[in-house]
Amino acid sequence: MKILNAVLGATALAALSLFSASANAQGYPERQITMVVPFSAGGPTDTVTRLVAESMSKDLGQQIIVENVGGAGGTLGAARVANAEPDGYTLLLHHIGMATSATLYRKLPYDTLNAFEYVGLVTEVPMTLLARKDMEATDLKGLIDYAKANQDKVTVANAGIGAASHLCGMLFMSAIETSLVTVPYKGTGPAMTDLLGGQVDIMCDQTTNTTKQIQAGTVKAYAVTSPERLDVLKDLPTVKEAGLPQMEVGIWHGIYAPKGTPKEAIDKLSKALQVALKDPNVAARFVELGTKPSPEADATPEALKAKLEGEIARWKPVIEAAGQYAD
Amino acid sequence: MNSLKFDTTNLICGLLFMAIGIFFAYQSFELDLGTAFRMGPGYFPFILACALMLFGIIILVQSARVQGEPIGHIAWRGMLFILPAPILFGLTVRGLGFVPSLFMTALFACFASGRMKPLTAIVLSVALTIFCVLVFSYGLGLPFRRFGPWLGL
Amino acid sequence: MDLLNNLALGFSTASSLANLFFCLIGVLLGTLIGVLPGIGPTATIAMLLPITFQLEPVSSLIMLAGIYYGAQYGGSTTAILINLPGESSSAVTAIDGYQMARKGKAGAALAIAALGSFFAGTVSTFLVAIFAPPLTEIALQFGAAEYFSLMVVGLVSSIALAHGSMVKALAMVVLGLLLGLVGTDIYTGTPRFTLGIREYSDGLNFVAVAVGVFGIAEILRNLENEKSRTVLMAKVSGLMPTKEDFKAMIAPVLRGTVIGSVLGILPGGGAILAAFASYTIEKKVSKNPQEFGQGAVAGVAGPESANNAGAQTSFIPLLTLGIPANPVMALMIGAMIIQGIVPGPNVATEQPALFWGIIASMWIGNLMLVVLNLPLIGLWVKLLTIPYYVLFPIIMAFCSIGVYSVNSNVYDLYSVAFFGLIGYVLSKLRCEPAPLLLGFVLGPLLEENLRRAMILSRGDPSTFVTRPISATLLFIAVVVLVIVFLPSVKAKREAVFQEED
Repeated sequence: MKILNAVLGATALAALSLFSASANAQGYPERQITMVVPFSAGGPTDTVTRLVAESMSKDLGQQIIVENVGGAGGTLGAARVANAEPDGYTLLLHHIGMATSATLYRKLPYDTLNAFEYVGLVTEVPMTLLARKDMEATDLKGLIDYAKANQDKVTVANAGIGAASHLCGMLFMSAIETSLVTVPYKGTGPAMTDLLGGQVDIMCDQTTNTTKQIQAGTVKAYAVTSPERLDVLKDLPTVKEAGLPQMEVGIWHGIYAPKGTPKEAIDKLSKALQVALKDPNVAARFVELGTKPSPEADATPEALKAKLEGEIARWKPVIEAAGQYAD
Repeated sequence: MNSLKFDTTNLICGLLFMAIGIFFAYQSFELDLGTAFRMGPGYFPFILACALMLFGIIILVQSARVQGEPIGHIAWRGMLFILPAPILFGLTVRGLGFVPSLFMTALFACFASGRMKPLTAIVLSVALTIFCVLVFSYGLGLPFRRFGPWLGL
Repeated sequence: MDLLNNLALGFSTASSLANLFFCLIGVLLGTLIGVLPGIGPTATIAMLLPITFQLEPVSSLIMLAGIYYGAQYGGSTTAILINLPGESSSAVTAIDGYQMARKGKAGAALAIAALGSFFAGTVSTFLVAIFAPPLTEIALQFGAAEYFSLMVVGLVSSIALAHGSMVKALAMVVLGLLLGLVGTDIYTGTPRFTLGIREYSDGLNFVAVAVGVFGIAEILRNLENEKSRTVLMAKVSGLMPTKEDFKAMIAPVLRGTVIGSVLGILPGGGAILAAFASYTIEKKVSKNPQEFGQGAVAGVAGPESANNAGAQTSFIPLLTLGIPANPVMALMIGAMIIQGIVPGPNVATEQPALFWGIIASMWIGNLMLVVLNLPLIGLWVKLLTIPYYVLFPIIMAFCSIGVYSVNSNVYDLYSVAFFGLIGYVLSKLRCEPAPLLLGFVLGPLLEENLRRAMILSRGDPSTFVTRPISATLLFIAVVVLVIVFLPSVKAKREAVFQEED
């Protein structure tokens, strides 16, 4: 009975302490914040989230805990946040998939453009166009010629529908107006293994996954999709330099909150995000990942909103041309 | 011994596998089957479903030949309380929060046994809840809310 | 000698006081969380991952590796004691380990598992150190056709997992394969067999299925007639294995180590086959195959060693290619990146202290595990004396938390209930759950690689026999099939003739 009393006491106490911390935007944040990552722990997006969340916690004075809600190309996690209490204590960190899933999924349980408030852009990870080590072509032009000449033989690997490599592969085919043989994998790991082993010809993926392989010379790199060359891969031309400017693309990450979250909370979060992106530790880690923090002007609600709208419009025709949907 | 030598266990087993096979075959049929060289999403599961039906038929035929041991007791009470326990946890963990949800789940599962006395059940559930909250919530920092929004907070 | 220098560097890194401490903490935490029923390595690492972020890179990876072995060991412990495997490999351990426990030999089973694992871990650690680069070359030769043929070998071998009716075992494998296909088809994006539930579009959760068909079904079986019989075993005869047990385990451990080391290298999920393959071989070479499924020592020793050897060598693709072989390895990569180390082919040359330190710590971690767990066996076995009606609500609570913590997906909890029911019904119909679980793991791999091989060969099926490795594997599959079927056909014929007499 003693135990029972103790527990009841503790329960009541905990309930009381929570009660006193009821939503009050002035003092926001008053308790810990949950940031949902719509992918499983350990992936590139999870990594970005944890780095940013830790730094934002310092500025907000409350801990941000990261919750992985993986599944269905990130739409499960996004749906969870869309339906969460709009009190500023549930956030979403999602990447480009936020925009592409609006077209890839014909039935979404939320309305991408109207279900969220925007906090800001976090980072934009560039992609690199790769081929197996023994590919004959020496530059992007050569690769395109080769691909066009061997249309039904050249294989393009991707890590599954909606993955960065899938999007980039589609973009490549649409840019060179040639349809190649798509070979899907479950995840980046097996796709990269087969590229290393020369089982497939081409892959285009985030620098997070490819930089080390390029540096080690285990794959052949042709171009990077960022507007400028990367510090870690100085010799690699940009797609613009290589003559394929339509390929300029990045896996951008943004932070969202459920629709109706108080403006005070959003402002505080945006400010915390801007501070976090200036944190030298965050910047250093981002560089190692082959990316860099978004500039302060982009870490704002307006910039994220504009980005999302622009990207939905950009990807819609590409995805519809490929004619492949995820539901 | 019965003159009609049917092994009920295998009879049910064969029928069950056939039923599952038919279910999957029907579902695969609604998908694109494709061809052996260019397989659609339904091709491989359709083959498997057919194999499952075939095995079901073989088991069914065998049931007519050998007499096996009877099925024996069925844990009705166990099924009634054990199986809904994780469902209960799933339905309430986000709404009520980790603490009340876990307590209810444990308490509910307790009643699966006829030997469990109500007081023991409560004490056990309370102790278990405290342990789990300490280990998972405080110790490991799992992102579960201890008390959820349904409690009117 | 390069190797000696490297190993020396590794051991000096790993045996710094701080790193030893973190290795110990990792092993301890891993064991403690992993031993909670229903919580296997994947759930454990997912839970403990954030803890390691605050540490130095080397320490954090050493601790993570420790958590991995610890959790794997803990998962085997629950498999043996209460028939609750936390991952595919301990599903095999559960078959005979649990039967040993029921016969009062729980202590012996745990000790065999620990010692077998330690031996396998030691051998394969050195394999990693010596052969990592050349082995990687071989692994890269494995394309879709080779993986498909490898999975066929695994599938054919699975028949030996059954100790009852062979047809039922086959049916269970096929059912498992079908269940494994639930989710989005990666080639077309079409959702299959999800009943329109989006939460299942990434497939059914392995932990949920395993907990359901093994754990929950077992609880229900024990609750069947609790009034008339005392469930479980109050008697525990001797904690340590007997001399005969030791004799019986030597050969299986050696064979298991070899099998596990070889299969673990393959980045496409070869390691998951290791335990199943070892069980098959042990049953085939055994003089008393009828003992399997009734508590055979070899049925615990072989798969446990294979499992652990595979777990070690699955670090090879991670360390030499920067590519994860399984979900746990993917988590390790995440940890590395957070620490500012992007894994790739050059980790060994760019970060020698880290690379060799991890390898050395593997062995140290395994040593700690044995030292830690042999005395703990007494404690674990004592858990069996807890009355069952107290134990199962606890199991239910931990299972619920463990399954939910992996992806915060409540539908995984609903599948636990569903598969508990299925598992119970099937066990009442005298069908074994292990083949189903193997099929579940193999299903997606089999289909994926079959279709990928066909795409890569432009629809030419001869790719499976013209590629030498693939052809060899298929040949092995045929041989296994012949070996498995011939004696049983012969035995059946004899039985029929006897009946006629």
